[in-house]
Amino acid sequence: MTQTQPDLSVEFCGKTFFNPFLLSSSPVSNSAEMVARAFEAGWSGVAFKTLNSDRIPIIHPSPRMNPYDYGSKKLVGLQNVEQISDRPLKDNLLDFLYLKKHYPRHVLISSIMGFSNEEWAYLAKASEDNGADMLELNFSCPHMCVEGSGHKVGQAFHLLEKFTGTVKKAVSIPVIAKMTPNITDITEPALYAKNGGADAISAINTVSGISEVGLEDLVPKPNIFGVGAVSGTSGPAVKPIGLHFIADMAKNGNLGLPLSGMGGIETWIDALEYILLGASTVQVTTGIIHYGYRIVEDLIEGLSDYMTQAGIQTVSELVGRSLPHLQTTDHFDLNRQGVAEYDLERCIGCGQCYIVCRDAAGQALEWDTANRRPRLIEDKCLSCMICSFVCPVPGLISYQEKDSRWQRQETPVMDPALESGLKLAPPPWL
Amino acid sequence: MSMREEVFAAKDTHFDLPQAFAEANRCLLCYDPPCSRACPADTKPGEFIRKLRLKNITGAVRTIKENNILGGACGALCPTEDLCEKECAATGIGLPIAIGKIQETLVKHGQKTGFKPLEASRNREPSRVAILGSGPAGLACAAELAKAGFQVSLFEERPEPGGALRYGIMPYRMDPELLQGEIDELLSLGVDLQCNRRIQGDRGAEKLLEEGFEALFLAPGLWHSRQLTSRGPGLRGWYSSIAYLQAIREEKFGELEKEFLNKRVAVIGGGDVALECVQSALKLGASDVFLVYRRSYTQMPGEEQQRLSALQSGVHFLLLNQPVDFITENDRITGLKCVRTELGPKDDSGRRKPQSITGSEWVLQTDIVIEAIGNQAESGSNTWYPSVRTDQQNLIRLEEDSPRTSRKGIFAGGDIARGPALVVTAVEDGKKAARSIMAYLR
Ligand SMILES: Cc1cc2nc3c(=O)[nH]c(=O)nc-3n(C[C@H](O)[C@H](O)[C@H](O)COP(=O)(O)OP(=O)(O)OC[C@H]3O[C@@H](n4cnc5c(N)ncnc54)[C@H](O)[C@@H]3O)c2cc1C
Ligand SMILES: Cc1cc2nc3c(=O)[nH]c(=O)nc-3n(C[C@H](O)[C@H](O)[C@H](O)COP(=O)(O)O)c2cc1C
Ligand code: SF4
Repeated sequence: MTQTQPDLSVEFCGKTFFNPFLLSSSPVSNSAEMVARAFEAGWSGVAFKTLNSDRIPIIHPSPRMNPYDYGSKKLVGLQNVEQISDRPLKDNLLDFLYLKKHYPRHVLISSIMGFSNEEWAYLAKASEDNGADMLELNFSCPHMCVEGSGHKVGQAFHLLEKFTGTVKKAVSIPVIAKMTPNITDITEPALYAKNGGADAISAINTVSGISEVGLEDLVPKPNIFGVGAVSGTSGPAVKPIGLHFIADMAKNGNLGLPLSGMGGIETWIDALEYILLGASTVQVTTGIIHYGYRIVEDLIEGLSDYMTQAGIQTVSELVGRSLPHLQTTDHFDLNRQGVAEYDLERCIGCGQCYIVCRDAAGQALEWDTANRRPRLIEDKCLSCMICSFVCPVPGLISYQEKDSRWQRQETPVMDPALESGLKLAPPPWL
Repeated sequence: MSMREEVFAAKDTHFDLPQAFAEANRCLLCYDPPCSRACPADTKPGEFIRKLRLKNITGAVRTIKENNILGGACGALCPTEDLCEKECAATGIGLPIAIGKIQETLVKHGQKTGFKPLEASRNREPSRVAILGSGPAGLACAAELAKAGFQVSLFEERPEPGGALRYGIMPYRMDPELLQGEIDELLSLGVDLQCNRRIQGDRGAEKLLEEGFEALFLAPGLWHSRQLTSRGPGLRGWYSSIAYLQAIREEKFGELEKEFLNKRVAVIGGGDVALECVQSALKLGASDVFLVYRRSYTQMPGEEQQRLSALQSGVHFLLLNQPVDFITENDRITGLKCVRTELGPKDDSGRRKPQSITGSEWVLQTDIVIEAIGNQAESGSNTWYPSVRTDQQNLIRLEEDSPRTSRKGIFAGGDIARGPALVVTAVEDGKKAARSIMAYLR
């Protein structure tokens, strides 16, 4: 209905995606039947469930996932031990042919994982020959039952470079390297992938973790007949990690490759955050595991309404828009300080602010017992703002900058008289 | 508080956006949502709540407004416990999701932030359509047609549009600005609204078809009060519910204060309109307000929430009492003569029938009587459209469950076809009529 519909299409590795929203490689992209329904729902492309060459049979542990819930919120995170595709290669490739026949304008990315140099080349070629528009090299699954594969490769940067090079030689379609977050600095392996010839980087795969321990059997979950294992965590809980790694790569002047972001995307706001920090496409799994393909309607509608209201015509204008505002912490202006400001007219008297300020901040609140109201001693406020995080009334507590002459009180010591007993040598630099 | 403030002070029952979001987080996001199936106007609660849950707030407002031009009013007024919320799957594990409140909140949020999801069609259809009556049925029909590019003229005899929403429902139950916002949004689609235009007289409505309109939608509602006896209208202190509520909505507070302040008021009837009258009379400063109803509490057709709210605000319910006549002095009401009743065997409506107890007559001292015993089609309204088939009560007869009347090119819906019904069913009828009209014209 909207008159000037913003254009959601994006260019990525020379291909046009009619929106930036893709299924990531996982159970949500396991077969053409599923992917076709996802395309009908509005997803513009897919990183198909990682292909396997049939040489080593794949069997998924059972059960293969465990939810990480917080309070009454379900699936804040998800832990899984699922392996790459357990379908025969032929079936997956037949499904490629089906998808390209019926959805020629949708982008099909073949995710592959080899266990040797030849296998990487073989899977790459087979994918290209059966219609894949791009490849995504899975260097990043943290819980492969086959030794020395998955994120083990992603953590051994020379191997990663070598396999990328092998694949690049075998095919002419663009190659994306999918990174693991289970390293210290993601720009390092990304640069190795670039040296190997990668055309783009996607990140993040799942984060190594343990979601829960069963208190009856003492087995970490998911409990595979008495055994738990450190394995991949995904979903909203990992979004901060994903955003960090995408931003690091986007800011790295030597990398300069297009980025596909993922990790905890559920809403258009999550997706936009990835885009603002440098991703030009985004991928989703856990959001779909939680709600189904239908969330793409809200990704599309939410992002296009945002763009309309912000007067932005194309997604590319948004890519990396927040990067200039992202600096290292030494860039902060520490001369500017502020305090919390309370709109007590709207206070309901729960006192949570008083508890947390007293126990975790500056003891800057007094409590009026009779009226059940906090009273702020401004000079003691640390402006940590934790009171506003727990306040149930939206906007009651806000941040207010103070002028430059304002001074915060120092935290007093309990007993200055103890100074005579203090043992502290003068610092050596004096 | 002044009388006006009393009447306009909205009950503080709506959500703010964070509360609506929290409520949406309780939603189970069902497959094939049963709430959506239960909405007569197809407002798609399952969809807009999911959108809110996924922070697609503009999209949520759009879903409501595209499907129900009066989504805000319906959110505030629908008896949701009998509609969408009745089917809510969350009831299986706790309370149903407060769908109506979420809906009202989202529409208000859209209005507050200036988000207007509806736009006039760029496509221009050559046909002109006339609509008689700007109640919810007329408004909904106009919206659908305008969105599809048809040229719509909406004829309304009263000075302001909205029908019962404007002149029946009291401001304390629905914020008048909410309605105004919804009507403004409709008008921005390019509808030609003509207020103070009463269509009447012999063939008055049908003639529109000879004046360049190719189709006509009849939605005049029910604006004639049934009367207990023919004596009432001649007496001072006597009101029909329609005239009484309209006087409040037209803010004739000077006059009303003289009549109602510290007076005893009896309202006859047990439906939504009677409940509207008793609660507003208290706000006008009446000393005692009586609701006189011939059946029992559970038989009252008025919405449960309104019944409870009337009881709690201090209305005296005189149940099992049949008013029979007025006691007067110099044509001024001083009392209402009633007979006590008891419930006998079931009648046609399946309810036990009230029977008068002989010799039980008594007089309720009262200064004012408001009759709210049912709204009817205006007598003689059938002469405005003589080739349209009507029944004995002047309700319009529709063809086979469709919005079509017996006359080609004339369609009808809302209360004039159903008898007293709901805002949401009027919206449903308006939407269906629009679709039928488009099929007819294309
Ligand atoms: C006091 C009261 C409280 C109610 N409370 C609720 C509630 O809480 N929830 C709910 O869902 N429903 C409620 N209802 C019912 C609901 O308002 C009606 O079912 C609904 O408004 C019917 O819509 P309509 O479009 O058919 O007619 P109306 O709303 O009656 O509108 C008809 C319009 O046509 C105009 N008109 C009539 N004749 C002519 C003519 N000859 N020429 C030009 N214009 C004409 C009238 O002026 C009016 O504006 C209530 C009704 C009343 C009276
Ligand atoms: C059950 C499950 C199976 C997955 N399988 C694969 C896989 O075969 N190949 C792959 O590259 N990533 C796989 N992933 C990782 C996802 O593609 C994605 O990188 C990760 O889950 C982060 O995104 P999310 O938070 O949207 O889920 C899997 C994730 C899950 C939860
Ligand atoms: S989601 Fe489906 S496949 Fe998975 S355990 Fe439940 S029924 Fe089985």
